[in-house]
Amino acid sequence: MGADIKQLRTRIKSVDSTLHLTKAMGLVASSKIRRATDSMIKGKEYAASLQETVQMLASYEECKKSPYMAQRDGERICLVVIAGDRGMAGGYNANIFRLMRDYPDARVIPIGKRACERFGGETVLAEKFTFAQAKAIADGVCSDFTEGKIDKFGIVCTEYISLMSQQAQVKWLLPLTKGEGKSGASAIFEPDEITVLNGVIPEYISGMMISCVKESFASEVAARRVAMDSAGKNAQEMIDKLGLEYNRARQGAITQEITEIVAGSGA
Amino acid sequence: MKSFLLKISSPEGDVFSGNAVNLSVRGTEGELAVMAGHVPFVTAVKPCDCKIELESGEEKTGRIDGGVLTVSMDKAVLLSGSFRWLEQ
Repeated sequence: MGADIKQLRTRIKSVDSTLHLTKAMGLVASSKIRRATDSMIKGKEYAASLQETVQMLASYEECKKSPYMAQRDGERICLVVIAGDRGMAGGYNANIFRLMRDYPDARVIPIGKRACERFGGETVLAEKFTFAQAKAIADGVCSDFTEGKIDKFGIVCTEYISLMSQQAQVKWLLPLTKGEGKSGASAIFEPDEITVLNGVIPEYISGMMISCVKESFASEVAARRVAMDSAGKNAQEMIDKLGLEYNRARQGAITQEITEIVAGSGA
Repeated sequence: MKSFLLKISSPEGDVFSGNAVNLSVRGTEGELAVMAGHVPFVTAVKPCDCKIELESGEEKTGRIDGGVLTVSMDKAVLLSGSFRWLEQ
């Protein structure tokens, strides 16, 4: 009985330290949420303006000749995979990797420590992702696409729907699809539509990448907060249950001792 | 002098939004300036120092790392992945 009590006490202690950990991680995530969502909104606005410009350019007949609009039948896919730098964020990383199972042959450019560990390559942190890094990746992808080394390019990221729900998705960027913009608008292009479009595409891809990284980071922080909340709740429940068991065992030991004393004095 | 609405946007949010008299950047074909009443115009911008002249006559300079400039009716939007103000 004595060993049982000691074991229970050790378990309660360990669950209690887990509770502290989840609480601390939940608090860190809460404090990061606001900054992350603000940054995400700004990034999204920028990406939307870029997308609008690219769609407008892509709707011009002349731009059909652009190498970025070439629809090829090949299956060489290149994907930028954005996952988190840390774990303990519920299904955040797992959802991304599950989605990646659909593209086993794709060439992967990982962003985020977890993605880098899984797919190999140099570690690129998602939290500290810079425009210069995005530009370098975008330039590489653009030259590979125009040279015909890849047929399709997309970004695997997590869409932030709300604090409670995030969804892993693939955003296909290349080849461009013909937009339905107002191609009738008479604007002057310097030097011409196709050159402007070709010049804008690397900017567009890096902008989209930055925006996706920001959105994914906001999703990660939100997912972590929710996961830590429920983990904290579970730990508390466990402590309550173990506490009850511990008290019962302790009481049992006392009762047994009394019985033994009484029996001893009666003899 | 007549002014036009200028918006400079980067992934970190709007860097500048307000009235300006003159904006000069380097386009694919060379230096260019935008003033009020400019025809609708689209060009890719090369990495350069971007000069903005405000209504008050004050001049601000920022460094951009490439981008795209769209001018529509009395409104110019400069999208750039990285923009930072230079100390005067």
